[in-house]
Amino acid sequence: MIISVASGKGGTGKTTVAVSFALAARYCQFIDYDVEAPNADIFLKPDIKNIKKVSIKQPYFLTDTGNDFSKCAEFCHYNAIAVIGSEVIFYPELCHGCGGCLLVGPEGAVREKDVVVGEVAKGFTTPGIDFLKGNLIPGSMRTTTLQNELEKMLNKSGLVIIDAPPGNSCSMVMSVKNSDYCILVTEPTPYGFNDLLISMEVLEGLKVPYGVIINRDGVGDSAIEDYCTERNIRVHLKIPNDIEIAKIYSQGGTLLDYDSSYGEKFGIILKVIERISIGEADNHN
Amino acid sequence: MVKQITIISGKGGTGKTTIASSFIKMAHDHIAVDADVDAANLHILLNLTTIKKEDLIGGAVAVVNQTCINCGKCEELCRFDAISGSTSDIKIDTLKCEGCGVCQYICPAGAIELKKDKQGEFYTSDTQFCKLIHARLNPAAENSGLLVTMVRSIAEDIAYAENKKLIIIDGAPGIGCPVIASLNGVDFALIVTEPTLSGISDFKKIYKVAGFFNIKTFVCINKHDINDKNTEAIEKFCASNNIQVIGKIAYDENVPKVLAAKNYIIDYTDSPAAKDIIQLYFRLEKFLYE
Repeated sequence: MIISVASGKGGTGKTTVAVSFALAARYCQFIDYDVEAPNADIFLKPDIKNIKKVSIKQPYFLTDTGNDFSKCAEFCHYNAIAVIGSEVIFYPELCHGCGGCLLVGPEGAVREKDVVVGEVAKGFTTPGIDFLKGNLIPGSMRTTTLQNELEKMLNKSGLVIIDAPPGNSCSMVMSVKNSDYCILVTEPTPYGFNDLLISMEVLEGLKVPYGVIINRDGVGDSAIEDYCTERNIRVHLKIPNDIEIAKIYSQGGTLLDYDSSYGEKFGIILKVIERISIGEADNHN
Repeated sequence: MVKQITIISGKGGTGKTTIASSFIKMAHDHIAVDADVDAANLHILLNLTTIKKEDLIGGAVAVVNQTCINCGKCEELCRFDAISGSTSDIKIDTLKCEGCGVCQYICPAGAIELKKDKQGEFYTSDTQFCKLIHARLNPAAENSGLLVTMVRSIAEDIAYAENKKLIIIDGAPGIGCPVIASLNGVDFALIVTEPTLSGISDFKKIYKVAGFFNIKTFVCINKHDINDKNTEAIEKFCASNNIQVIGKIAYDENVPKVLAAKNYIIDYTDSPAAKDIIQLYFRLEKFLYE
């Protein structure tokens, strides 16, 4: 079973919740899909055993051959290649590494080299958490290349917890699309609510069932809870607003360090989700 | 000449939008841009009158028609793993397809076309303080970087036409495509971080990204008093890298409460965070209107 933890707004507590699930489950695969800002390792403290570089292929042009590369520039859908006279200007930050210029350019005059865009790290947290994360190199825009790499390593035979990046665009969708269930973490502010509604729309489009966890409960109003009640959306948990949680988090501590009963609470939510996904329980309040 | 400042953070939820909306209220001769196009929030506190709405067309994806001869060439050449089953029953994963056109080019049967779709909308709105250029990316759409580039270019055009002096850009979390699009060509970056291990880790990444653009970068430490040791570590890092820590904002429970009531924190001048944000703005102001 794959459970993803997502949220439109950033900083609502995705990692806190995802880590709590992993610690409650004790045996699972944990994947940090937030490759632009991966932080789950700060809390799960895995023993990293293996780091693999991830690269894409990018072209270079043998211009001293007198060849004409204008077809490459014409073909490139990302405007990464410009040809002025006999000169080729290449913009590596725009290149997706599709290999199109290689196909259309003069034979043998377009070559490719590997360009590292990030790495995938594998590790282990006792008692039984297989940890995986992607880490994008600052300056690279190949977020989805790393996420594709992580997807290949999904172990669908057991429980998988996915920590998604913030937002509602392609990198979030990449993280939640394979899930059996998604937990949307939000906070009771107008920003949290607005972004939650968009995330719900994304999940409904993908047909991924979801429930909500409200973090920092008490800081704002009850608009989110009222909305969930009205639409019969399950609110699995409310985590109180407490500066102690913020302080523990700031040092790399978890919700279970704040209050060990959260282990049990998240264990129960896991069971509820399991029952929902096999059709034994309804996914509403 | 118009100056541009982008507010970024790496980690989400550190207070970018709270700071941006405060700046919008205090600044003058300015235009605001919401560059967090897939989770835009800047409009929430503003009284909006949308004066112009345009469609974002982009994000070409490959579409196959019945003339496919199941040769398998497209699957073999696709670098994004977007094509499967091409030797029997071809499927294109529109999420993975990046619209590069290789499959269309290589297809011997001419069975593949690239189709562009509406990816979202962008708006020019009047507000009580300034014009706001914002957007709504369709849920699950890609091309957030393109949309950021679009809203910024509209803002630049208006700034030029109306002789504005400042563009305030509220950035997206992360360090990827939309963030890079929001930094390209701006004069200043304000990194909002927090003294948590996650905040610090992401701060160092976004600082590197800003470094590629040669932008004058300032740092603001939000909720600085939740962990003094980490705040010190950030200050030390900034000192040794020659970055100015231009403000520190106190942890203040009034911030979410005031936001929930859809009010501005800086109007509650007795509130610790309000004082700090106002001070932060005035320290920055002399650079912004230089």
